[in-house]
Amino acid sequence: MNINATLFGQTVAFVIFIAICWKYVWPPIIAIMEEREKRIADGLEAAKKADDSLEEAQLAFDQEMNKAKAEAAELLEKANARASQIVVDATAKAGIEAEKILTSASKTIENDVNKAKEELRQKMSALIIETSEKILGDEINTDKHQELLAKAASEL
Amino acid sequence: MASEAHEPITSQEYIQHHLTNLVCGKTESHGWTCDPHYSEEMGFWAFHVDSLGWSIFLGILFIGLFRWGLPKLASASEAPTGLQNFIEMCVEFVNENVQSIFTSAKNNLIGPMALTVLVWVFLMNLMDLIPVDYLPELAKGVGLEYFKVVPTTDPNITLGMALAVFILIIFYSIKIKGLKGFLAELTLHPFGKYLMPVNLVLEGVNLIAKPISLGLRLFGNLYAGEMIFILIALMLTFSSISVGLLGVGLHLIWALFHILILALQAFIFMVLTIVYLAMAHETQDH
Repeated sequence: MNINATLFGQTVAFVIFIAICWKYVWPPIIAIMEEREKRIADGLEAAKKADDSLEEAQLAFDQEMNKAKAEAAELLEKANARASQIVVDATAKAGIEAEKILTSASKTIENDVNKAKEELRQKMSALIIETSEKILGDEINTDKHQELLAKAASEL
Repeated sequence: MASEAHEPITSQEYIQHHLTNLVCGKTESHGWTCDPHYSEEMGFWAFHVDSLGWSIFLGILFIGLFRWGLPKLASASEAPTGLQNFIEMCVEFVNENVQSIFTSAKNNLIGPMALTVLVWVFLMNLMDLIPVDYLPELAKGVGLEYFKVVPTTDPNITLGMALAVFILIIFYSIKIKGLKGFLAELTLHPFGKYLMPVNLVLEGVNLIAKPISLGLRLFGNLYAGEMIFILIALMLTFSSISVGLLGVGLHLIWALFHILILALQAFIFMVLTIVYLAMAHETQDH
């Protein structure tokens, strides 16, 4: 356990190892660690940025969505209004048409009735004349009493 | 076992054998020699080849591990794995300690130095866990009579490192404060300039105590641990199975406990080194 020159030997060895560590061992390790630290910090920042932009996108999406929904609702309303308008218009047209048809039908009927009346009158007058002839004999001349006959017919 | 069949040795001889270094030095009669018979003659100019050898080997192991332990193309983009993880963990641990202690000044030598101290001292301490007879017996196989394995149980090694720290303390004290500032620090505290000699004695003791306590603390802890390992190993030389088994159990328990001491002492050596150098960097009066 005696102190001897080993002490100086160890001192020299110690200094040399410190120097080697200082020059060649420490710097590359620290460099790697620092670079990784930086990368991790960058990565975290990028992640935060991405998060923010995602939020922004979500917000924009929500806005667009709401806008689209509102538009759709508006369109639907317009369509509904238009549809009911069409129905109203159609109903009105149909009413007019129906009335027209009704009018023309009643006109036709009236015509037919008049025609039938006329026919009936003529037939009646003819029948009256015939009956009168039969009663009066040949006294009544058709040509002669044409005027009287027409008068009678018109009075029927 | 150190005991050989043809010449049984006593317990005292066994312990003595384990505490003797392989020493090479200069003798009057034979010049430079590694013959243990002349170790008395060598005086100061002798080297503990085993302590120094192991210490340098472990230093190179440290450098190799931390320099070439990183993958060839270690890049920051890939997650570290395995050894790189371990290396970065060590470096980060050291860096954190340095930064927490070295708050006022910046010195990029401190980090590498602290890392060297921590890992190197830990590796040297770790040799203590190798059963005390394995390597000396191997050495005996190649003809080396004495062979001490744990460098930190040699006061030369621990005080040698403490001396380097001491030199750095003085170097940085003078570099940062100037020679005048350093001398002022030594002579003008704590009692003012009229009691300069008293101050010098007090501060001088304070200064000298740093490396001595630093070196002896490590040496003392490791030497005591080693001694207990030797005593436990001695139990195995008795021709009694029960004592031998007890010895194995004790060895296991002590080794497990000793792991804590090894790491702790390496850590303490590192922290004190950083603290002493931080104090050397402090310029304000205290």
